[in-house]
Amino acid sequence: MLINTGVPTREQIELRLPSPERRARGPYAMVECFQEIPCNPCSTSCPFDAILPMGDINEIPAIDLDRCTGCGICAGVCPGLAIFIIDESKGDGTASVTIPYEFRPLPEKGEMVRAVNREGDVIGDAVVTRVLLSKKTKTPLVTVRVADEHVHEVRFFNLIDNKTVCDKTSSKIEEEPKTDDTACATDDDEIILCRCEGITLRTIRDLIREGYTTVDEIKRISRAGMGPCQARTCGPLIASEIARMTGQPVAEIQPSAHRAPVKPMPIEFFLGGDSE
Amino acid sequence: MMYKIDLVVIGGGPAGLMAANTAAEAGAEVLLLERDGHLGGQLVKQTHKFFGSEKQHASVRGIDISTMLGDRLDSFGDRATVWKNATAIGFYEDGVITVDHDGVYKKVKPKRVVVATGASEKFLSFPNNDLPGIYGAGAVQTMMNVYGIRPGHRVLMIGAGNIGLIVSYQLMQAGVSVAAIVEGLPKIGGYAVHAGKVRRAGVPILTSHTILRADGQESVERATIARIDRTWNAIPETERTIECDVICISVGLTPLAELLWQAGCEMRYIPALGGSVPLRNDCLETTVKGVYVAGDVTGIEEASAAMVEGHLAGLEAAASLGFKSDSYDAERKDCMEQLTALRSGPTAEKIRTGLACTACL
Repeated sequence: MLINTGVPTREQIELRLPSPERRARGPYAMVECFQEIPCNPCSTSCPFDAILPMGDINEIPAIDLDRCTGCGICAGVCPGLAIFIIDESKGDGTASVTIPYEFRPLPEKGEMVRAVNREGDVIGDAVVTRVLLSKKTKTPLVTVRVADEHVHEVRFFNLIDNKTVCDKTSSKIEEEPKTDDTACATDDDEIILCRCEGITLRTIRDLIREGYTTVDEIKRISRAGMGPCQARTCGPLIASEIARMTGQPVAEIQPSAHRAPVKPMPIEFFLGGDSE
Repeated sequence: MMYKIDLVVIGGGPAGLMAANTAAEAGAEVLLLERDGHLGGQLVKQTHKFFGSEKQHASVRGIDISTMLGDRLDSFGDRATVWKNATAIGFYEDGVITVDHDGVYKKVKPKRVVVATGASEKFLSFPNNDLPGIYGAGAVQTMMNVYGIRPGHRVLMIGAGNIGLIVSYQLMQAGVSVAAIVEGLPKIGGYAVHAGKVRRAGVPILTSHTILRADGQESVERATIARIDRTWNAIPETERTIECDVICISVGLTPLAELLWQAGCEMRYIPALGGSVPLRNDCLETTVKGVYVAGDVTGIEEASAAMVEGHLAGLEAAASLGFKSDSYDAERKDCMEQLTALRSGPTAEKIRTGLACTACL
């Protein structure tokens, strides 16, 4: 599912595909936006009113493919980089995909690149046929020509010669061979809750066990929360630890008192002051 | 001396900039306090195009929105003052705000305040979580996009919300490889289109996974992750080691509300909004009269909603001082409609649930 993987399902894609007649007729925008989010630049930017006006800004864009010319303006403005221009009208076994591509270096026209699908896997080769720079959107639109059968899969590309954005082979995650696990016994000593004062989770837990069950009590006895960050980092962590160990809801645990100044200041600062 | 002014806006991010612009436009004298050396807050790190509609500058990159809003503030001349490198360090019950302005202690007593302090990042506890190479996503973005420093060579991202997905994408744009994105929930929290961008660039997204520990001699060399069950316990035999020199934590934000606590605003802990948030009325005024709020400090949302909230808070704060232009009613109605629209979709369900608990009469 899209919401678990970040990749739309085959069904979601197929439902968006235009009729075979429209696909053969000329370029069109493929809007791969499947989630209701508050966003409408595609619809307000279309000079042909092909992306229909949205009554509610959260609506999923709807496109009138009879009006769409495949001009690519929406692909350049879409903040989600989720619009691609597809042209299947050549009829020579190849088709082209225009991809919003915000990486450097940009490929050059005529350059061979590796065609990548929505999951980041290389599925073939592609040739760059156009690189369009826009001063307004600063989102380059790169058109690549791919084999017909790949045009609905290719949504990205990797440059050849080590100019790769993300080499997927290097991000393969190996299953951990089971090693001896001696770490757990000392974990609490290795976890720092208050980074400014260097107070460990073990210290905090020991204090809670001893009966210090408010953030302020723990602050006063351990100095946790008295450093430069003034408990902005450790305060919520200590509150949730108290909640876990005492069974109180986090909402009922008072944060430590908030007094001025909100950051540690030297005493001489207050003696100064401006005398304009 | 005590500086006196109509309105102080605390925070120069998307919400604060909009509040300051709107109030200055209406005629109020505004002082904007920005902790950093430049305006824009998180906008300056956002190299991607924004969502939303034209009214929230959709399809414009965050960094460019920051410049637009800052230039607009400049156009008001003396009516809008900006203090950069200025941290509001205290908010007292008599309405005085103390400021560290470039190392100088200053006191300000405004008639109205808009608190737009944003949020801070949540952190995780796991063994060796203090090894060099473990960063919050905000720090990684600052290094890359503000200072042009690559944080490392191979990153393990923890968290598949919008920030985790976007920062992963930006890392790849900077030539850094992203080994995987690990998400504890069974589903991707960020927009599907952001997930699609990193997936097709070859990055696996591992849902129902968590980080168990980090290891390395001097700095991070590897991380151990595992699949987790519904109660967030690691499932035996699913452990994997990932070689990486950076672990980037992107597990959510929490409102940065200490000044509101100090001012005595009534607060409520609302998990759906990221932590303790101020109760407020539909003018974004808190339970302390004259103290308004906007942006992530009211609950974690997108920057588009923060800008509209800033507009509304600036409008109302100025109007309450008598700076009420002819377009007041129309602007107010427009802000309300924009917020309703931005929050009406299925991805904003959590925000709607949370916001239902924030109203005060």
